[in-house]
Amino acid sequence: MSNDERWTGTERHARQLFDASVEGLDGETRSRLNRARQAALEEIARGRASPWRSWLPAAAAASIALLAVALWRMPAEVADPSARDSRPAPAAEVVEMLANGEGFDVASEDPEFYVWLESRDLPSGNGAG
Amino acid sequence: MMGPATLEVLLAELPVDVGRSRREEACLDAAETLDRFLAGVERRAFRIAQMALRDRDDALDVVQDAMLHLARSYGGRPSGEWRPLFYRILYNGIRDKQRRRSVRSRLFGLLPGSRADEDGPQEDPLERVADGAPGPDRQLMADQAMQRLESALAALPPRQQEAFTLRCLEGMDVAETATAMGCSEGSVKTHYFRALQALRGQLAEVW
Repeated sequence: MSNDERWTGTERHARQLFDASVEGLDGETRSRLNRARQAALEEIARGRASPWRSWLPAAAAASIALLAVALWRMPAEVADPSARDSRPAPAAEVVEMLANGEGFDVASEDPEFYVWLESRDLPSGNGAG
Repeated sequence: MMGPATLEVLLAELPVDVGRSRREEACLDAAETLDRFLAGVERRAFRIAQMALRDRDDALDVVQDAMLHLARSYGGRPSGEWRPLFYRILYNGIRDKQRRRSVRSRLFGLLPGSRADEDGPQEDPLERVADGAPGPDRQLMADQAMQRLESALAALPPRQQEAFTLRCLEGMDVAETATAMGCSEGSVKTHYFRALQALRGQLAEVW
């Protein structure tokens, strides 16, 4: 019984703290949330997303594949000279990530980042580039 | 008679010429309903995302994405279904953001000259301070108590965090929480019970 009362108290206290933190949100955050809501409502009015967005994830996925190939061909010591004994080769790690689907999941959410990342100059390995 | 028709079905059934004003009315009604719903959940959703991500901008991004996703994919569903759907989308976004951070950190760590471990997303202690203006001692104590709650929550397994946040902080019932978490009601009860036990153990001394 006392346990139940204590748990109820924990729950009540947590809820009160959370509610207070919600009420204490600053004006800028509230304003940004309001703008985000308006953007969602405009989305309903537009009916569908812009067509260019549909191919961007595919471009980002291709960029990740290119990045993986670049890293594959890069000597391990070039990629990370300080950890050549303690870490797997970059290519292996990237390929592992790609095999897990992580990179592609991320690409669908943040494609611009991976397009940019692929565009970075990487040191060429054995004939890479 | 018409059943739980979606907005898209309703609009599609209206003749283009004759139904133009009715289309606009239907759009306005849907937009108003969605506006009210989102206005009612946006601040709580933001705080939930902020607690999980420990980053204000990331939390805002996740909430905005969840709003857009709900509007695009489920705007035509009955409004009674929106809340668990919205939080399901929100938590998917939180998990994606966490995974993206991890992948980004690892990718940057592979690039020559990078210092991902130093420059990657780190918890900013200021982010854990409540966003409201500095107040009296009482407010400070409440802020500190909230920080302890956030730290204790962060130490829980993700599913326990979700169960406690949705059930206790957001006030969903078991069925709604199960829909939002994409699991059975039994699993919700188990996660919640374990979360509550752990939190009680961690917070009993300091609260």
